[in-house]
Amino acid sequence: MDFRFTEEQEKLRTEIDDFFLDNLPSDYRPRGQRGQTMEQYKFWMDLQRKAGAKGYLTPGWSKESGGLGLSDMEQGVVMEETSYWGAAWPGSQGIRVCGPPLHVFGTEEQKSKFLPGIAKGEDIWYQAFTEPDAGSDEANVSLRAVEDGDNYILNGQKTFITAPGQGDYLYTLARTQDVTPKHRGISLFLIDAHSPGVSYSALPTLGVFTVDIFFDNVKVPKDRLLGELNRGFYHAMVTFEFERSTTGGGAGARRGMEELIDFYRNEKPNGKPLLENPAVRDLLADRAIEMELVWLQGWFAAWHFSQRDKLGSPPPEAGGLHNKVVSADRAKQLIDAMGLYGQLRRGSKYCKYEGRAAGSWEVSRSTHPAGTIEVNKIVLGGRGLGLPRIPAKFNKEIRAAIEERG
Amino acid sequence: MDFNFTEEQEMLKTSARDFLEEECAEKLIRDVEAGDQGYSPDLWKKIAELGWLGLVFPEQYEGAGMNVIDLAVLYEEFGRAMFPGPYLSTVILGGMTILEAGTEEQKSEILPRIARGEQIVAMALTEPESSWGMQAWDPEGVTVAAVADGDDYIIDGIKLFVHDAVCADTFLVVARTKSGADPADGITLFLVDAKSAGISITPLRTVAGDMQCEVIFDKVKVSRQNIVGALNGGWAPLDKSMKVGAVMLCAQMLGAGEKLLELSVDYARTRIQFDMPIGINQYIQEHCVFLLRDVNGARWSTYLAAWKIAEGEPCDFEVAVAKAWGSDAHERACWRAHQVHGGVGYTVNDGVLPLYSRRGKTYQLYLGDTAYHKEKIAKELEGWPAPQVPRGKPLGLWEGIPENWIPEWWDTYDKG
Repeated sequence: MDFRFTEEQEKLRTEIDDFFLDNLPSDYRPRGQRGQTMEQYKFWMDLQRKAGAKGYLTPGWSKESGGLGLSDMEQGVVMEETSYWGAAWPGSQGIRVCGPPLHVFGTEEQKSKFLPGIAKGEDIWYQAFTEPDAGSDEANVSLRAVEDGDNYILNGQKTFITAPGQGDYLYTLARTQDVTPKHRGISLFLIDAHSPGVSYSALPTLGVFTVDIFFDNVKVPKDRLLGELNRGFYHAMVTFEFERSTTGGGAGARRGMEELIDFYRNEKPNGKPLLENPAVRDLLADRAIEMELVWLQGWFAAWHFSQRDKLGSPPPEAGGLHNKVVSADRAKQLIDAMGLYGQLRRGSKYCKYEGRAAGSWEVSRSTHPAGTIEVNKIVLGGRGLGLPRIPAKFNKEIRAAIEERG
Repeated sequence: MDFNFTEEQEMLKTSARDFLEEECAEKLIRDVEAGDQGYSPDLWKKIAELGWLGLVFPEQYEGAGMNVIDLAVLYEEFGRAMFPGPYLSTVILGGMTILEAGTEEQKSEILPRIARGEQIVAMALTEPESSWGMQAWDPEGVTVAAVADGDDYIIDGIKLFVHDAVCADTFLVVARTKSGADPADGITLFLVDAKSAGISITPLRTVAGDMQCEVIFDKVKVSRQNIVGALNGGWAPLDKSMKVGAVMLCAQMLGAGEKLLELSVDYARTRIQFDMPIGINQYIQEHCVFLLRDVNGARWSTYLAAWKIAEGEPCDFEVAVAKAWGSDAHERACWRAHQVHGGVGYTVNDGVLPLYSRRGKTYQLYLGDTAYHKEKIAKELEGWPAPQVPRGKPLGLWEGIPENWIPEWWDTYDKG
């Protein structure tokens, strides 16, 4: 057992740290992507390209793909520092979500066409999975892709699609076959975001900015199918594993802690620093505990992933679930400890701590991205702990009853 | 970063589990609770033979020279097996304090005796006032005085919640020898023979059914030679041992929690009601899933703290995090296990769950509960530096800029 980083890893950490220290302005505040001004957005696009030129966006990818060819653990170090500085990459979806499956399932042509654009910070991808009737039940995808000569023709709608920037490509699940079980007839497509027939409308949320995407007879060439036809759901499942091994959570929380402590230290209602307030101390301690647990859990997952050939699948882990469950409590503590000022949004007169208490309280209304609390519990109970599930014959009866009713 | 256990640790774990399953079964635990000793001398002798009592002592004191991470591995198994006995008192709070601060003579006399199972030590720290909570494990809470009298000291006062007092041969008494601005300056540790005149012991009736006692020191005479560490300088070495102890309690709760999870999942899968295993109900599954979290969360925070101690690095923050989380998480884990087990989980005379639950409460409170350690965390956080400021020219892009629901880039985006 060893909780130290190697000398090379520490050197790499300093290198990344220096990149941000040199390139971020002294009045920088890590504030996420929601509701960015055009200047903020342009700033991040520029910095993303700078980071991409150095391979910092995708350090674990091969050099041909625009990465640095680093190991899983070194990649973890880069991600950790990137999160510490709260880098709001507009290309984050491509970097984290769409790139890894492209590596695993893409043809050589697809890889050389798409990966460098992500790695260099040029292209912005959306993961377009969710639909009005396919939220938690992802296999219920009904965006239809019908074969037509050298193309597929797509019709349908996606919704709640996270849009961290001006999208160039869509990484999309579509139905290619009507079959039972439903997840055996789904395929993955790589689609130009501005193909004729694709249109967008804004769907702002209390959390991140999202959009609706409509497909009206959209022509997608056959070479844009990712992986095997009708295996898209399984492909997507495999790559969800990649999302588990993230080391950023703890570091991002650490920067937040530093800023919060500093705020409480300097804010002195009636001459007494808020840092001495028992409710504030309680809140800080809770956050510190969770920060430490998230950090450990992230590195354990990254380490386990780095040894996957030897160790196989990771043990069930309910840390993500816990964080979802407590996030509302933490947000409440934060906003309540500011009294009436807590309700002021960023940019308002008299606003304290740049409205972050209100901001994080708003965001804490949404615990459903990447699986609701309830779905998480069901998955962990069944697949994680091996608890019994409702037998298929009952499921069948329920389905028959629904169908009968129409 | 390496989350692997060493081969030696894996072996220790396996052999400890096998041994304790055999030798520390439910009957023994119940017998110990019903008895008036608070431990099983027979089992104590056996674990001495296995070398466990000297596990962390250097070889020159008949120890095995292993470290605090190894000890945590053993403690996980202690927790799983609900091992009853004065290990924490004797080996950690007694032995490790002596190892840290004792004279060569004290070390070579006492440590081998501890390792052989021939001497039991009990720490007498908490007092009626400090037992209310927040100062119990801080020097502020120590008021019982030891007053110099020629070559001796006279200790006079009441110590409360002294673990393993009944079976102890020796007390490690934490007494005040000086009062001043710094409460830690003026605390002295005395090794007091348990048979000394003036000592009276009354066991307290606790939920755990363990042997915590009131120990009255009525003008007890102790030789100056029995001081461990420096006069007035006893707090630092004791504090160090208490941190090890707190982490071991975390490991104990972790081991107990693992067992509670296994028991609960097993019961949920096999208990049939309404013609179905109860575990098919998502209400029951929820308890099991949160149990998993409360147990798993404790694992690496415990081992990180143990590793920091073993490496001799500053560990105040890590220890406080481990114990603050571990104590509350264990309380929740016990409660969840009860919810899954229903009626069979709360019978007094059979079944292990109530035993876990009752002992769990002691683990949570001993050496600092969640509230106590959260305040320690807050103290640590006070000392955090201000966040680093980047070196680039200021751009005025963030400060005071309102946040809208829709980003501005949306205006110029081609929406089709």
